[in-house]
Amino acid sequence: MAMKTKLREKQWVEKYPDVGTEPLPTEPYLSQKRFALERDLVFRRSWINVGRVDEIPGIGDYFVRDIAICQASILVVRGSDGIVRAFHNVCSHRSNTLVLDERGTCPGRLNCHFHNWVYSDTGELLWVPDEENFFDLDKRDHGLTPVNMDIWEGFVFVHLDPEPAQTLQSYLGGVADQLAGCPFDKMPLSQTYRVEERANWKIGLDAQNELYHFPFQHRHVAGDAFRTNDKHQSRYQDLRLYNYHSVWSCEYGESHKLTPIASTLYKFDGILRAFTIPQMIGEMDFFTVFPNFVILLYQLGTSTSYLTYHFWPLAVDRTIWEIRVYFREPLSVRERIRQEYFKCISRDTLQEDTAMHEAVHSGLASRAKPHIILQDNEIAIRHFHRVMEDRIGAGLPT
Amino acid sequence: MPAMDGPSLPEEFGDLQPYLEWALEPERARTEKRVASSMAEIRDFYDTVQPRLEAMIRYLEDFRDDPMPAPAHRLYLISLSLVEVANLVELYKRKEVFEGCDPLRYASDQ
Repeated sequence: MAMKTKLREKQWVEKYPDVGTEPLPTEPYLSQKRFALERDLVFRRSWINVGRVDEIPGIGDYFVRDIAICQASILVVRGSDGIVRAFHNVCSHRSNTLVLDERGTCPGRLNCHFHNWVYSDTGELLWVPDEENFFDLDKRDHGLTPVNMDIWEGFVFVHLDPEPAQTLQSYLGGVADQLAGCPFDKMPLSQTYRVEERANWKIGLDAQNELYHFPFQHRHVAGDAFRTNDKHQSRYQDLRLYNYHSVWSCEYGESHKLTPIASTLYKFDGILRAFTIPQMIGEMDFFTVFPNFVILLYQLGTSTSYLTYHFWPLAVDRTIWEIRVYFREPLSVRERIRQEYFKCISRDTLQEDTAMHEAVHSGLASRAKPHIILQDNEIAIRHFHRVMEDRIGAGLPT
Repeated sequence: MPAMDGPSLPEEFGDLQPYLEWALEPERARTEKRVASSMAEIRDFYDTVQPRLEAMIRYLEDFRDDPMPAPAHRLYLISLSLVEVANLVELYKRKEVFEGCDPLRYASDQ
């Protein structure tokens, strides 16, 4: 984990010259036509994370995830055989939405509340009221419609194309290699935030996908949080661009001053056991999993934790930014309060981000500028848009 | 016999009794309290509770393997409210995040 990379100028484009240096057009943040292409060629043709298997540990446990841009409601359920499956959350009778709760546990069966058609927790149609009055109805032909699903390190991904061109493992590529065996299951979910933003979904992802803004936008709370060069500029200290995804890493600033509360909470309390993750590259690793998913691993005191972000497009100018906060089970009250403290100061920082995402959208929507300009430490943004352009330009499934 | 006139804190923390209204859960309730309080109230709460945080933690560590008795649990919730308002007092020196959105837009599900 020792990086201490020299924070050189323009070093990442030397490593990845194909990504280019040119300005990027603003129209893809604004265009309805483009939004429809993103739906058809990206969200319908990519592996999309919908949650974790830890959310449904028991038989009959389920959660429902709406992929709004595709108008898809996905039901993920652990069947009585212990196997996790994904289905369209739609009744076979007249396409009513089957399950209305976001999560729950079913007693081996799922009932449609319209005409009480009954399905097993493995998706078979079990019972149809007044079945004799239908015409040649064979229940075996009318189970729930399965959705392609696979699990990687406990993360549940679905693919809306009936025949995905790639397996999940191959799609994740270098991300799967780097994070293989990462103990995500030792860090249970602590909190979920869902913020509806008046902004295109790519603005939030772009904004999070660099450190350049940190000493400026977050100057009040964390301006010196990350290592900077002698001109006080934060830089990626490691960067890896994968097939569709990327990871950048950084180290914490050496001069970061602790407040009175932080000093108390970070005090060694004699029972802390270090919890480190050998898969990590830096002290904070930001993995962007194309198209809309982020895994952010970071050290917190002697422990390690992670956040996930999902950017869920609702419309070309509306997005739900979902932030999930995961911590290991605290070993002490001090650690538990420290986790809460981290969550609160993160939430304050995220409020700055949300306001910024919306302000950027307003600026883009004015069409004052035809392009955005990116520097070398915004190369992960450039890579993301390059992947997007390749996908939309080629119209190829992956 | 314990006092019957409402919830209390552990005896050692009787000085924090005026701040019992900050013993709130879930997280959302603490955020709402922060939003509804004036900066003077927040600063007064911080100035009284922050110097006691170390003692609070040491007291609470004794209960970490058991369900906390109600007075200890209230003390614990006050510590969570303290970290909820920490940035406002320690960094921002004002009630609002700089160039931030409304905190209540961060709707937690707990």
